[in-house]
Amino acid sequence: MNFRPIMVLNKRLFRQNRGRNLTAITAIMLTTLLFTTLFVLSQSMRENLIEMTFRQTGYDAQISIKNITAKDAEKIAAHPDAAKVGQSMVAGLGMGDALSGRQVEIRWADENYAVHSFAGPTTGNMPKTRQEIALDTIVLDRLGIPHELGQKVTLEWIADFTEDQNRVSEFTLCGFWEGNESSYASFAWVDKEFARKAAEDAVSDTAAGKDPASSKIAGQYMAQVTLFDDKNMEAVMDHILEDTGLTGLEYSVNLAYDPEMNRMAAQENMPVYLGMVLVFAAGFLIIYNIFQISVTTDIQFYGKLKTLGTTARQLRKLIYCQAGMLCLAGIPAGILLGCLLGAVLVPVFLQGRFSSVSTSPVIYIGSTLFAAATVLISCMRPARMAGRVSPMEALRYNDVLRGTYSTGKRSGNAGLCALAWSALGRNKKRTVTVICSLTLGLTLMSAYYAKNAAFDMEKYLSGLTLSDYQIDDATSEDYIRGYNPHGDTLGDTLRERVKSLEGLEGVGYLYSHETEISLDERTISNIRGFYTEEKLNFWSSYDPNGPKSLLEAITQEKAASVVYGADGIVLDAYCDREHLLDGSYDAARFADGGYILAIASAGEEGEKPGTVSVGEKIIIEDHAYTVMAVLDNWNPVTEGALEEAAVSGADSRFYLNFILPAEVFRENWQENTPRKLFFNVEDAHIDAAEKMLDAYGSENGISLSVTSRASMMGQYEREYRASAVMGNVTSFVIALVGVLNFVNSMVTSIVSRKKEFAMMQSVGMTKKQLCELLVREGLDYAFITLLITYAVSALAVGVGVRAMVEGGFTTFRFTLLPLIICTPVLLLFSILVPYCCFRNIEKDTLVDRLRMEG
Amino acid sequence: MEIIVKAEGLKKYYGKGEALVKALDGVDLEIERGKFTAIVGTSGSGKSTLLNMLGGLDVPSEGSVQIGGCELAHLNSEQATIFRRKQIGFIFQNYNLIPVLTVWENIIFPITLDGRKPDKKFIMEIVRFLGLESKLDTLPNNLSGGQQQRVAIARALASKPSLILADEPTGNLDSRTSEDVVGLLKVTSSQFRQSIVMITHNPEIAAQADRIIRIEDGKIAM
Repeated sequence: MNFRPIMVLNKRLFRQNRGRNLTAITAIMLTTLLFTTLFVLSQSMRENLIEMTFRQTGYDAQISIKNITAKDAEKIAAHPDAAKVGQSMVAGLGMGDALSGRQVEIRWADENYAVHSFAGPTTGNMPKTRQEIALDTIVLDRLGIPHELGQKVTLEWIADFTEDQNRVSEFTLCGFWEGNESSYASFAWVDKEFARKAAEDAVSDTAAGKDPASSKIAGQYMAQVTLFDDKNMEAVMDHILEDTGLTGLEYSVNLAYDPEMNRMAAQENMPVYLGMVLVFAAGFLIIYNIFQISVTTDIQFYGKLKTLGTTARQLRKLIYCQAGMLCLAGIPAGILLGCLLGAVLVPVFLQGRFSSVSTSPVIYIGSTLFAAATVLISCMRPARMAGRVSPMEALRYNDVLRGTYSTGKRSGNAGLCALAWSALGRNKKRTVTVICSLTLGLTLMSAYYAKNAAFDMEKYLSGLTLSDYQIDDATSEDYIRGYNPHGDTLGDTLRERVKSLEGLEGVGYLYSHETEISLDERTISNIRGFYTEEKLNFWSSYDPNGPKSLLEAITQEKAASVVYGADGIVLDAYCDREHLLDGSYDAARFADGGYILAIASAGEEGEKPGTVSVGEKIIIEDHAYTVMAVLDNWNPVTEGALEEAAVSGADSRFYLNFILPAEVFRENWQENTPRKLFFNVEDAHIDAAEKMLDAYGSENGISLSVTSRASMMGQYEREYRASAVMGNVTSFVIALVGVLNFVNSMVTSIVSRKKEFAMMQSVGMTKKQLCELLVREGLDYAFITLLITYAVSALAVGVGVRAMVEGGFTTFRFTLLPLIICTPVLLLFSILVPYCCFRNIEKDTLVDRLRMEG
Repeated sequence: MEIIVKAEGLKKYYGKGEALVKALDGVDLEIERGKFTAIVGTSGSGKSTLLNMLGGLDVPSEGSVQIGGCELAHLNSEQATIFRRKQIGFIFQNYNLIPVLTVWENIIFPITLDGRKPDKKFIMEIVRFLGLESKLDTLPNNLSGGQQQRVAIARALASKPSLILADEPTGNLDSRTSEDVVGLLKVTSSQFRQSIVMITHNPEIAAQADRIIRIEDGKIAM
């Protein structure tokens, strides 16, 4: 027989300590569950971030070359360091009302290019003949074509920005795939011949005297290079270019492969990492406590083993083996539950973004290692304690009460109180551990709650919306082709319908016109004063052209300008004190004409805005206006595209913007149609308004660009609620671990003193007194814990959370609601647990208890 | 005659100042190999403390203990544990059996802790001698006091120690069983050439010893 004493002891002891095992397994399971959930979240977040970047950049190859010839692309493809090269040629851009607001690039591409651009047909295949076309579902839906191969597709398009007339071509649908909203554009794949022909046409147009450089689209040849690995991509690419004699060819590295991405992922995951640290702390506190209690209770047993020749190492091994067995049961269960919880939480967490739940092995390996490490570290001290036990410990079998009750004058019930109180001090380590554990969980819960409660929806919405509804002209946000000031989205019919809405509270229109203004000396000095060195440096850090255009405007004493016309609720809301930087707004005088409002970036308090001063005159296309007030830059009004297409470089000019009364505006620029329409309706009629807009959209076959308060609230849900859910789940489970620790500690503390209680009873303590003693102990425990928890939570919420939420869309309110809710629960536990233990103890007769060992 | 145990100037003090307790106060002692020594004395005289010192379970405040020429003070706690399980067999008043291990497992426990293979033939000889053959798969809690003490004796003998230290091995047994146990101990020790040091309150048992040492107030009374 091969008898391995420690292993056998381990197995037998494990079977004996059912109560401890159950608690420990639950604790390990909860700890692992949280680790796994956090791992699932962080992995999913990371994978989705990279996936999203792929989708946003539009391809997953490492290198993209925007301008190359077919011949050069082949050279690169032939290089041994290039794994794959995808090629594509642009034929034109999709046009027409149905496609307005969505860029549709008509191109030829090889299979490689299409697949690496997430635009490989999943049904059907790439076009092979002049008549065939492959589209994504977004374009199909916009054109109102069913998702079926063989459908007729009529496409309006241009090969060149200067074309006045849209070309119209007919195709047969030969393939389609799921469209991707987060990508900047949709692709319409056509045959290579088609693209070549379009390019030739564009060339002949160019020959007819149009400016080729900025306007030509067709014929642009592109390539994507997939490399064998993600390291030193630039060096590898430079090497390829050198070998192929193409040095100097411009290329860009896919943003998704940028090391920055990992940093970003890490940053986004910061709360998750913090969560892991907290989980470790919570796990440590309970597992440590369980083992500490277990070893303390069994210390005589370990002493006995030592007298029989068990070495300290063997004793430590015994403890670690016990921990290992507990892990064996707790960790897999925790991982399973954690994955399930993660699978539920990830979609909530990543709502609105491309969402897939990661199944990376990192999760399983990571959570196993983290949980095992937590258990191991938690066991270290108890194991050392068991190892260091003196053999003499075992020989103290005579019934001397260990631990000391404090001495002092006691009488009547006061004696019980003091006795109960001193019990807490008998095992200080245990008391401190439990209090830390509970305080950690409850404080976290309070802090999270206070942080979420501080969120102020009104503040959040007021930064984003001006009214219940905002409808934009279809081209208002068309950054590619530019805003069309003569658009017809907000036509008479729609305006009439809005006007006749039931429960309408107010309407406002916004117009815009682009022009150029001269800057006088005072304005220039305002601008110079406002844009300090510091601001310019910050500006150029994200837009190097910005400061350049500013200097240019100053030297030329000229700036570009968007002049807005506004009326109704737009002016009411915008000219509120909140947005007023300088001067004062007088609605009546402003409406009379002759006055103008300037828009400026908000600076520090008391700083002079970098625009025309209040009271100064500004001349706009031969009309002179006096500046009545300066307003800050408010997105609901000022957000939108410039009139000229982005390619022309208009966006790199320095702008000073103004607001005129809509009436004055319309007199000056009679051709301009409204750019944005704002209206408020009573809450009771929100649904009717919604229906009206939907109906209008479908009647006219257009999709209105509507921004509503309701949709903004939805966006909040997506952006903020998810992290709140995660925080709540984590802190709730940590609090649960704390309660488990509390209960376990109380139970074991009572059970281990069974004999001691029997002795008290044998010398005259009544059952009632014993019960009272135990309950008092529990209550004392709860009171101390609550006292400390309240103090720590108040500090955490009052100082920590207050500082944390400052500046966001928040209004801080001091609250400890979760703690207040938990208080009676904890008190109930502290009465119920000792009472149940008492009942359990009473099952054995006094004599039996006096006789028992240990 | 060969000396197996040698104690010199052995002192053990507990507490300080007024509360100072001199459990052992300068004990010099030599015990010959193969002899049966009884230690007697009143309760609290320091007998158990002396036995624990001799077995290396407790550390003296002063003085030295040598067993088989090995100075215990020179061993660290880990080495002392290993030395103990190889050289000394303990028999305790409360038997100190491991409740979760069977009788057989309890007997071979110290040997296996040492990583050695138990000498099955030899141990079975002891088991038969002690009349435990039918109890080998039983857990200690299902045995009578006498049976439990016999298991403890079997365990002490199983590793063939040169020294057996017994602290009132018969304290919990009735007089008949006590005599049986002592008789067994005497026979086995002489058979396996072991030295026995035994604490006892029982003058009849003490009378069977080769030598009686009387302890009074932490000193050997002559």
